Amino acid sequence: MESQSVSISGSGRVSGGEYTQVRISGSGRVEGDVIAQEIRVSGSARFQGTVKAKEITVSGSGKFTSRVEADILVTSGSCGIEGDAVVKELRSSGAQRIGGSLRSHYVRVSGVLNVACDLETDGFTSSGRFEIGGLLSADRVEVKLVGDSRAREIGGENIDIRASSGFNFGISLSRGLRFGVGIGTLTVGEIEGDHIHLEATTADVVRGKIVHIGPGCRIGRVEYTESLEVHPEAEVREKTKR
Amino acid sequence: MDEDLIAKKDVLEQTGISYGQLYRWKRKGLIPEAWFIRKATVTGQETFFPRDKILTRIEQIRSLKEEQSLDELVQILAPEASPECVQHDNPAALAPIGAEGRKLLWKERGYTFGELVALACGAQAMRSGTRPTEAKLLVDLVRAEEAAVRSSTGMTALLAEKALDQEGISVRLTLGVLGHEPLKLDRESRIKHRVDLEQITEQVKLALREVA
Repeated sequence: MESQSVSISGSGRVSGGEYTQVRISGSGRVEGDVIAQEIRVSGSARFQGTVKAKEITVSGSGKFTSRVEADILVTSGSCGIEGDAVVKELRSSGAQRIGGSLRSHYVRVSGVLNVACDLETDGFTSSGRFEIGGLLSADRVEVKLVGDSRAREIGGENIDIRASSGFNFGISLSRGLRFGVGIGTLTVGEIEGDHIHLEATTADVVRGKIVHIGPGCRIGRVEYTESLEVHPEAEVREKTKR
Repeated sequence: MDEDLIAKKDVLEQTGISYGQLYRWKRKGLIPEAWFIRKATVTGQETFFPRDKILTRIEQIRSLKEEQSLDELVQILAPEASPECVQHDNPAALAPIGAEGRKLLWKERGYTFGELVALACGAQAMRSGTRPTEAKLLVDLVRAEEAAVRSSTGMTALLAEKALDQEGISVRLTLGVLGHEPLKLDRESRIKHRVDLEQITEQVKLALREVA
């Protein structure tokens, strides 16, 4: 049996089930678990039940009250997932909020990403703002700081945090931070990785193999096994080589 | 359960693995979440692991990694990825069950994965001197709770013994207990044998692989 498509362009509700395509451009509500090839929300939608889809695009406002599984999730509007999310690729240029944890292969943030628990992925790239309530774990963490981001812990192989380029224009980063000139920062409890480069980052503990502490950093303790470089405009209270 | 713990940095130092590998293996489910034990120390929060478990696991990952991809390793090592559709006809041929286990068999053929794990529990108990009738208790217990074999970590099965003395008659009772550590028994009970289900599940998985 071929599954059907459903489209809401005014206001309406549909029940869960298996669909090829679900399009909501007005205001819609989906009641029950959904399996779909494609889900597009350009209006306002509320999914009550688990959602499994190949592709989910939210350019309006999407709310998922339960677990979401997808190959790709693109948010340019506002998307809230109250449960856990398993999404192979997540691209958020809007506002993405996840109430549980997120498992992924690749995450790209250029808007805002908020994950209440852990975020586990192979690659994490951000040029936006993020807040991770638990552990951010990835092989590659590449961050260009814009605004203030936070994570309880970051762990992985390569961790590269760069301040936004604003401070290159005549104003030093640490001065910029002191005066609160629009420069992004990152606040983390603990960072662990093999290759770590940090800028404008405040952390209690940094542990790594090859560690570079750049301008604007305030680190409680650094433990390293191979090399450590500290920029003059950084503050490291305690250093230990193991 | 006062397990011997090892700090994360000591694990890295002793085994020579990198942070990248450790976090990757954790993401893949090769190192169970439950093994990451956070503790406050003089220098702040630190992560510890059950020493024997983590060191054995890293050794296994390393020795198997040569021939298997990480995803295949997950199938072999992660408890929640236990093979569902095993039908094994000769359990005694598997090392964790062996000749001791022969006394515990209850049918000719077609043992499922959970049943093999149950047999391995019984066989292990017998090897440490438990009588077959008591080992059977353990087998029945684990058999009846097959889901426990697939539930992530920290499950233990015990054989406990209790002596009752009343009006000159003394009775010894043996009972089976299954649950998450730390398990508490009353003071008059004695633990005769303890089986770490996770460990035994893994042994059965590896043995099945060798046969195949």
